[in-house]
Amino acid sequence: MCDVCGCQLHDHHHSDSRIVEVNQSLLEANQKQAASNKTHIEKMGAIAINLISSPGSGKTTLLERTIDELGDSVKIGVIEGDIETERDADRIRAKGVPAVQLTTGGACHLDAPMVHGGLHVLEHLGKGTKFDIIFIENVGNLVCPASFDLGEHRRAILLSVPEGSDKPVKYPTTFKGADLFMITKIDLYQHFDFDPEEAKSEALKIQPDLDILSLSATTGEGFDQWIAYLKNLLNK
Amino acid sequence: MEEKAIFQGGIQLLTKTDNHDNTMHELSLAQNLIDQLLQLSKQHDAKTVTKVTVMIGPFSGIVVESFAFGFKALKQDHQPITGAQLILETPAPEYICLDCKTINTGDTRTADGHPKAVYETINDKICSACGSNRLSPNGGAELILKQLEME
Repeated sequence: MCDVCGCQLHDHHHSDSRIVEVNQSLLEANQKQAASNKTHIEKMGAIAINLISSPGSGKTTLLERTIDELGDSVKIGVIEGDIETERDADRIRAKGVPAVQLTTGGACHLDAPMVHGGLHVLEHLGKGTKFDIIFIENVGNLVCPASFDLGEHRRAILLSVPEGSDKPVKYPTTFKGADLFMITKIDLYQHFDFDPEEAKSEALKIQPDLDILSLSATTGEGFDQWIAYLKNLLNK
Repeated sequence: MEEKAIFQGGIQLLTKTDNHDNTMHELSLAQNLIDQLLQLSKQHDAKTVTKVTVMIGPFSGIVVESFAFGFKALKQDHQPITGAQLILETPAPEYICLDCKTINTGDTRTADGHPKAVYETINDKICSACGSNRLSPNGGAELILKQLEME
């Protein structure tokens, strides 16, 4: 029978045209690399957390205080994604923690092949010792990073108080793929018109299994819950 | 020496990456499509690709127009696919009711043909079965190369 027109007469051809059913995800190359990254991370003894947010919501400041609070008991490694400069990695290195800076040269997100390169460098910097947690600080952007799995075990979205509580509704795809939602800079509540209940309830509609934390890396308010979250992850 | 080579390899990888200088993620994804088309046309020994069908899920975070624009711009550089017509399937968004688990279907496009802000409709709508306003996006994150036609 002819595949094109369905006629039973004879096995004929409609010009030289052929139809091929592919049904393959265009993100497959990235997904395969992400799966291999995950295995790589686990071989390094670690779990990885992908931090996604707008620029300036406090990702690096969160990491600085996290390093201080966890101390030497937890071995941390950091992969920093930025369009340009080593500035974020330098801030982490100043805390004595190995950090790799990925400069994308313009790309708005990290993808799995870039992180693969970063993991090898981090492994080298660790000089063969095991890691407990690898933080991957994505390029500051609340949109594009959502489409790229990096092989992380948890994906955390940060939203700072000055940005406004309407962001979960405005950037839903990002929240849909997240495991943890952190409201940051809560020491600024009194200065901004931020409705935490709106942010939380809208985020939970989009992703009902979302864990939610509120904290300030400046004053330390709510930070114990974040540390508890990390310790709980490490004990799993 | 071995270690040093890995290290330098890593650094090299990180400074500038050939495939990742597309500043818009739709452009990177259109490039992925082109890579797959070139590979498939070679594999099937085809001279040209005439038609490509791609499905973009309503919650994929991909702007349909930008993806189509990226494909149109990038295909010009590759002879076997310069004439390929891109057919985009954009299925309607589905929302699951968090209270009664009923799947509700939203609208795909507005009257003027522009993509509808699919999440916004969560707030306009209530569940058709139980009236709850707790509707959550259901699936729809795919970007799939479904079919191609070659000669």
